[in-house]
Amino acid sequence: MTAQIHTFPRSPVTVAVRPLATRFSLRLRPGHRETGEAALGLPLPHRIGRISVEGGRQALCLGPDEWQLDAPEAEADAIRAALPGSLPHALVEVTDREVTFVLEGPGVLDLLSIGIARDLSRLEIGRGARTVFDGVQAVLVREAGERFTLSVWRSFAPHVEELLHRGARELALGL
Amino acid sequence: MTQPFRIPGRGRVDQSRPVQFTFDGRTVTGCLGDTVASALLANGIHLMGRSFKYHRPRGVVSAGSEEPNALVGTSRGPGRFEPNTRATMQEIWDELRVESQNRWPGLAFDIGAINDRFGRFLPAGFYYKTFMWPRSFWDKVYEPFIRAAAGLGRSPTEPDPDLYASRNLHCEVLVVGAGPAGLAAALAAGRSGASVVLVDEQSAMGGTLLSEPDVRIDGQGAWDWLAATLAELRSLPSVRLMTRTTAIGYYHQNMVGLCQRVTDHLASPPEGAPRERLWRVRAGQVVLAQGAIEKPLVFDGNDRPGVMLAGAAQTFLHRFGVKVGDRAVVVTSHDSAWHTAFDLARAGVRVPAIVDVRAQVPPDLAARARSLGIEVLASHTVTGTTGRLRVASVMVNPVRGDRVGPWRGIDCDALLMCGGWTPSLHLFSHTKGSLAWDAQAGAFLPDRKTEDCEIAGAGRGLWGIAAALEDGAKAGTAAAKALGRVAGVGTFAVEDDRTGSGVVVKELPTDRDASLAKAFIDFQNDVTAKDIRLAVREGMRSIEHVKRYTTNGMATDQGKLSNINGLMIAADALGKEAPQVGLTTFRPPYAPTTFGALAGYHRGSHFEVTRKTPIDAWAESRGAVFEPVALWRRARYFPQGAEDMRAAVARECRAVRTAVGLFDASTLGKIEVMGPDAATFLERMYTNPWAKLQPGRCRYGLLLGEDGFIRDDGVIGRLTADKFHVTTTTGGAARVLNMMEDYLQTEWPDLDVWLTSTTEAWAVAAVQGPNARKLLEPLVEGLDLSDAAFPHMAVAECTVAGFPARLFRVSFTGELGFEINVPARHGLALWEKLWQAGQSHGITAYGTETMHVLRAEKGFILVGQDTDGTVTPGDAGLDWAIGKQKKDFVGKRSLQRPDIVAKGRKQLVGLLTEDPREVLEEGAQIVADPHQPVPMTMIGHVTSSYWSEALGRSIAMALVEGGRDREGQTLHIPMPGRTLRAKVTGTAFVDPEGQRLKV
Repeated sequence: MTAQIHTFPRSPVTVAVRPLATRFSLRLRPGHRETGEAALGLPLPHRIGRISVEGGRQALCLGPDEWQLDAPEAEADAIRAALPGSLPHALVEVTDREVTFVLEGPGVLDLLSIGIARDLSRLEIGRGARTVFDGVQAVLVREAGERFTLSVWRSFAPHVEELLHRGARELALGL
Repeated sequence: MTQPFRIPGRGRVDQSRPVQFTFDGRTVTGCLGDTVASALLANGIHLMGRSFKYHRPRGVVSAGSEEPNALVGTSRGPGRFEPNTRATMQEIWDELRVESQNRWPGLAFDIGAINDRFGRFLPAGFYYKTFMWPRSFWDKVYEPFIRAAAGLGRSPTEPDPDLYASRNLHCEVLVVGAGPAGLAAALAAGRSGASVVLVDEQSAMGGTLLSEPDVRIDGQGAWDWLAATLAELRSLPSVRLMTRTTAIGYYHQNMVGLCQRVTDHLASPPEGAPRERLWRVRAGQVVLAQGAIEKPLVFDGNDRPGVMLAGAAQTFLHRFGVKVGDRAVVVTSHDSAWHTAFDLARAGVRVPAIVDVRAQVPPDLAARARSLGIEVLASHTVTGTTGRLRVASVMVNPVRGDRVGPWRGIDCDALLMCGGWTPSLHLFSHTKGSLAWDAQAGAFLPDRKTEDCEIAGAGRGLWGIAAALEDGAKAGTAAAKALGRVAGVGTFAVEDDRTGSGVVVKELPTDRDASLAKAFIDFQNDVTAKDIRLAVREGMRSIEHVKRYTTNGMATDQGKLSNINGLMIAADALGKEAPQVGLTTFRPPYAPTTFGALAGYHRGSHFEVTRKTPIDAWAESRGAVFEPVALWRRARYFPQGAEDMRAAVARECRAVRTAVGLFDASTLGKIEVMGPDAATFLERMYTNPWAKLQPGRCRYGLLLGEDGFIRDDGVIGRLTADKFHVTTTTGGAARVLNMMEDYLQTEWPDLDVWLTSTTEAWAVAAVQGPNARKLLEPLVEGLDLSDAAFPHMAVAECTVAGFPARLFRVSFTGELGFEINVPARHGLALWEKLWQAGQSHGITAYGTETMHVLRAEKGFILVGQDTDGTVTPGDAGLDWAIGKQKKDFVGKRSLQRPDIVAKGRKQLVGLLTEDPREVLEEGAQIVADPHQPVPMTMIGHVTSSYWSEALGRSIAMALVEGGRDREGQTLHIPMPGRTLRAKVTGTAFVDPEGQRLKV
């Protein structure tokens, strides 16, 4: 899949689809976190919403025993093989489950406010959250002050994308 | 027309910018900044509509959103017609079309006004009393008649072409109302650095200040001060100002709903712009500065066009530069209307008299009136008005104690009334904050608060600009401090403030027969004072009952004008004090709100999520007919040429039974159950045994609730010792995952197992039919597909058509079958390769309808169709799926309950109709004896019924009491006009031994 970027004249925000890399859902007990970190060569943050990055790998803590791992496709096999069988865990690839939108521009908070009830101005840069966009479960990451990624399950993506585009158009009108 | 009532140089409208719109087809000219009401008044037009019940001619009463009378139809272009637009709120623009309502054939002459003549025969409760008997007349005669006559305005008939938007908004302080109190509050909070949202429903901020230009604040004229204040607020980066925005509801935890009118005031809104936007605001603190609404006085003929609130006349004069008449009489119980009289007199309006119901009027006001040549009639009442479509004179009488003296008439073309002011408590009431009656003010005031809010200004009974500014500043400061900010209290030096007071009265005394008086309380619902008294006489004691009996304060008015007058009269009739009678509940929305604003983006294609599989586009391009399944849309069948559903499904069924069919099974729920305790977890969840299932093998799983009833089912494959691929029904996917998580987290947190939804990670193509292996074999790498190596209910990871796959050998059709799971991104490509490769094998795409028929021919149940939440495994004939050696699983204990093991439970059986061509209706009821008297004893119902192409006859499944013991019996299915006969059979209609799988 190639990145599609939709811009509307004068819209203060762009909506694009980020091409697939590799994404896993990692589950293990908090007590085994350090073993997991050592095996993956990647810190696993213990606070929900925190993100750690090591090389091309990134871990977002979504629950006390849950992390979303993102990595380049080339590292997928290495990640699959990294965790020892003796470590109780679940590692499930969910790359194809997800569609990730990249939203960027000075109007990005306004755009997200169309579908998300929480106050995103208080979401710190470099943090993420599992939330709901227009009734659809989503994982949101604030990559920069004016750049967010919004990941939703594949079949919900057209619904979400339609509203993002409509919102971007609406913001372009400035009304 | 030359706008004869416009005063050059006055008002905030742009008199150099004429705007032309039409009213009932005739062109009317106003100015940029006018509302429909102010423009019509500038042209001397007071008659704007007919009343709801009596069709009485009505003119504008107020200048704001509380307007009960001047409700008009507005058309903003094709498909953009709206009934009941308040003429006082709709701004004009060129080519806006406005029409009056509730009149036929015309506004000036209306047939329906006959109701007015017979008004004495249409008292409160008229419908309840008159149309009670005979009972049988209600449905066919009375209700249709009443419905046809009822309603105000005509409903739009075309689909709404407008767009509606919605957003969430967070702020520290939300200030509702931008009058002096709200402005001062916003300033105080804004200066403290708090994020502030200030909203006002008008097109301009300022509230009362827009109608009080002569007051001086901090040495500036009111409008200069207003401009400077708004400029300062705009300069504060954390302050957002929103005009044309109505706070419609105040909900829990300081969430306030705002409806912003985005484009209704624009002649040519930009393409794609929303008409309205709903804001869901979560505020740390809310300041309610909604002000007060002026009360009408209640006297005979108080609804004639030209009779209006004094404060409205003041607004039209100062804000719009419009005189509401040439000769205006004022009748009041409050000082405020005196100032209106003075302002009008100075603007050149003749004011013959001020009628004050109070015996004592402030001497300075009386002196000022006399100096302006206005006659002062203290201790007087108004007992009637004359004029047909516009007030022509007013009858005034002196009052001495209880005696009303003789009347005299005063000619006028406007009668301005003021019964005091009601603090606007609607939003506060939404919070369930309590109210306290203030006898001094004659008003309910906010008492105990339930939310983090402050109420400021006239909204809590204060009067005067200075008091409102001071109170607003205090409220804004308090809000900021509550948020932990440092805020000082601003002070304001106010000169020429027009403070005052008044008294609260019930209907005005009269010397005439009160039973003939048409003294209106609720103009919109045509409720009069005598209706309230009648309601009390007929036994209504609670104000809530009085409201419902009379309709006082119902509908969009929500008591804005009528509540206190109704209460005072009801209290008088009951001989009680007002607080003992109470106040009716204000409900959201504060002002009428469009359905569009509430629906927001959720209409048309965006009404609801429509989930589509990766293969959906292929189905669409092949002309598939879709059906909704949960949130998914699934291909139901693929008609070829002129085929109807039955023909298409018959063809698809034949193909699967004789060649090979291709089916999109991607929507099946999938849960990856992984961890050392995965098998233990499934043992406990499902009825079946899992511990000994070997990796590479699958098993049918049956899931019960704690009650022992079937919740879900699906095939579960064991991939490795600690990894299972669980499938669920399409509709059950989320429910099953939630249920599993619930048990895992609350009952068995000790288990090392985790659940991950993989429904959308995989696209699934089912290949079913005798040619399935022939089709698949050349495409599969890394796996021997022979029956010996890969038997029925096997699972393996391999490569199919070059894609990494999880391959299941499973069958929901009774034929040799495989389900190929590939990463979703490859779903469509896999499908197309299978399609291509299958051409030589007679491949046929089939949809959910064919899937349903094929499984029914095998007697496989559909959870939710053949079960309804009261069906046990035993009822469904699935006892074989229960692990007999298992100590426990969810629902096991319930299966021993006496009523579960009792005889005579409804059991799933097959039904074969006596006439093989007859396909029973799903849901049809079943009886044992068709000759019994009605109502018959129903012993069951049909759950599934189809034409079976394989058998050349119909088949059905049914839940029937003691069903399996009735095998061979003939049962009866009564249908309209006939009764069908069917024989009870087993449920496996095709290949009961399963020979077709052993290939």
